[in-house]
Amino acid sequence: MIEISGLAKRFEVENPKKLSEQEKKDPRLKGRYFQSVRDVSFTCEKGQVLGLLGPNGAGKTTTLRMLSTALKPDSGKVIIGGEDVLSNPNIARKKIGFLSSSTGLYGRLSGRENISYFGELHGIPKNVINARIEELADLLDMQTFLDRRAENFSSGMKQKVSIARAVIHEPELVVLDEPTTGLDIMATSTVMEFIQRLKDKGTPVIFSTHHLDEVQTLCDKVTVINQGETVFNDSLAAFSALSGNDGAVGQMHKSFLKTLSMDSEEMGNVVNL
Amino acid sequence: MWLIFKKEFKELLRDKKTIIFMIGLPLLLFPAIFGVAFFFMSSAADKAENKVLKYAIVGEAYAPAIVQSFNDASDKFESVAIGDETDYAKLIKNETLDFVLVIPETFNSDVLRTGQHKIELYLNDAGLNKVMGRVSDIIDEYTDAFQQTAFAQLNLDETQQEALLKPIKIEKQNVADDREVWGERLGGMLPYFIFILCLQGAMAPAADLGAGEKERGTLETLLISPMDRHKLVLGKFFTIATAGIITALITVSSMAIWGLVLSQGMAVEFVVKIMSMIGLVDFLLIFLMLVPVVAVFAAILLSLSIYARSFKEAQSYMGSLIMVVIFPVIIAMMPGVELKGGWVWVPLTNVALAMKELFKGTMDYFALFGIFTSTAVIATGLIFFCIHWFNKEKVLFR
Repeated sequence: MIEISGLAKRFEVENPKKLSEQEKKDPRLKGRYFQSVRDVSFTCEKGQVLGLLGPNGAGKTTTLRMLSTALKPDSGKVIIGGEDVLSNPNIARKKIGFLSSSTGLYGRLSGRENISYFGELHGIPKNVINARIEELADLLDMQTFLDRRAENFSSGMKQKVSIARAVIHEPELVVLDEPTTGLDIMATSTVMEFIQRLKDKGTPVIFSTHHLDEVQTLCDKVTVINQGETVFNDSLAAFSALSGNDGAVGQMHKSFLKTLSMDSEEMGNVVNL
Repeated sequence: MWLIFKKEFKELLRDKKTIIFMIGLPLLLFPAIFGVAFFFMSSAADKAENKVLKYAIVGEAYAPAIVQSFNDASDKFESVAIGDETDYAKLIKNETLDFVLVIPETFNSDVLRTGQHKIELYLNDAGLNKVMGRVSDIIDEYTDAFQQTAFAQLNLDETQQEALLKPIKIEKQNVADDREVWGERLGGMLPYFIFILCLQGAMAPAADLGAGEKERGTLETLLISPMDRHKLVLGKFFTIATAGIITALITVSSMAIWGLVLSQGMAVEFVVKIMSMIGLVDFLLIFLMLVPVVAVFAAILLSLSIYARSFKEAQSYMGSLIMVVIFPVIIAMMPGVELKGGWVWVPLTNVALAMKELFKGTMDYFALFGIFTSTAVIATGLIFFCIHWFNKEKVLFR
């Protein structure tokens, strides 16, 4: 079980004068500091897929970065499988598979070398890494390009290798930051299928997205963050019920707006920090 | 840490740009410098030596023998008639003539009676030319002949002639050997080239290993791997330092090898002299002095690179670093700046001066140890700073 409670993180703004008028009006901006995440709490059980939603600049990426130990929270707790991430970051890192939104790969290494490198960083024996790469290559349909240099990969190929890299160590929790952004339909479908497989295996998955159809297809739980705070944290059914519907995507859009206590017009004015 | 180093180095060797700066440039720079300098100098000298010089002699009637000598050397000199023109400077500047010789009317061989003759030679002496030398070759024959005539009139023996020509002679007893002389002339330039090449060799990988990670989006993934941050930094640091050291090694080897090749094959006098004087141990010590210097460069470059948001930003920071490095090396090239007093404690300047002393063969090895240690201490401090820097979220997620 993953338990996140009272998470908060602020950043020093490098040059407050350069902020736009809209950014200056954000209530999270206090002098030279921007309170990116104020109070985020949610839980995710084994075998659940949690969809993390929120407008741009809501604090989703910062939350996921804290969850993955890339950033240290100012306050709050992140408990993964009973381990406190803050006090044991290296142990927690072995338990988490994290895919950032950038899908960055080392261009001069092949897809296989990219995945293998991260396997070695996790201390996995070489023969186990090789076997696991073969398994992932089949699952993610990567056999045709796995030994080519990553600098020539399409965004779909990059995303597949990035996912394989994130799960090479068979993590207890998988965290994906907007995993389908910029992908074509085929690549999106592969990613969705892979998340479904993780779910079937009982691996909890937390992923942030702007695509409500993905939430509808995969998620058991939905957490909505707005201006650095959790404004909704419940089951998919409860999320759908907010707009009093049967879960149609168009209606879920209304549910989302409702969690933000906004109508469609207000939504267009959300500050994008 | 070695896992990081191994991976980074593998990537490095697959990068053409890095290979060019790390291996290609130092390997080719010295032969290029030696070769190009030799080619231009020798071809310019040949040209000046073999050029047919256009001349005019004013007062030909006073020295028909000299006029005849110039006429006899028609393959080297070409007489040009100038009439009554007296603006010799104009004739030379518009390239009608290369020189004008003005012979006084008192000119004759009896110098005891007439005194010293002053022949005026008008020429454009800016740039490489051999006019003075080539004219002197002809005139000197007459100088010798006139001297002999005078000596005969005075009935002087050889010792008296010598004493008369030069009553007091200073005999220079140089306590500096040839190596020290050449080392003083060239030793200052050596660290300038080597430092810049080492920095260049380390710059490309440094930009890639810090800012490059941010730009590609691999940094975040790396940060959440179960590898301690200080090991990540050290892995990257050693990769950059190794690239710098390889550049240094290739630079010093290239200098030694090409120096030898040129000295054997082309017999360039000064290269022969230098190469025969500097031993393998000196090259080894020069290389050893570079190790902590490269470590200093690597730590600074990595700190700058990890601070930068992008590859481009990193390169602009690093460009400024070249100026910071050049400055202490240029100080070491200044006249009067020696490895004494306060200069022993000025970072980089002291290494540059030590390399010069090694080149000259006048190094105090105790001071060398002190300079090596102090530079190594600075490098260690900078590595610690780099690790601290790499742990700051403000730097990593700018």
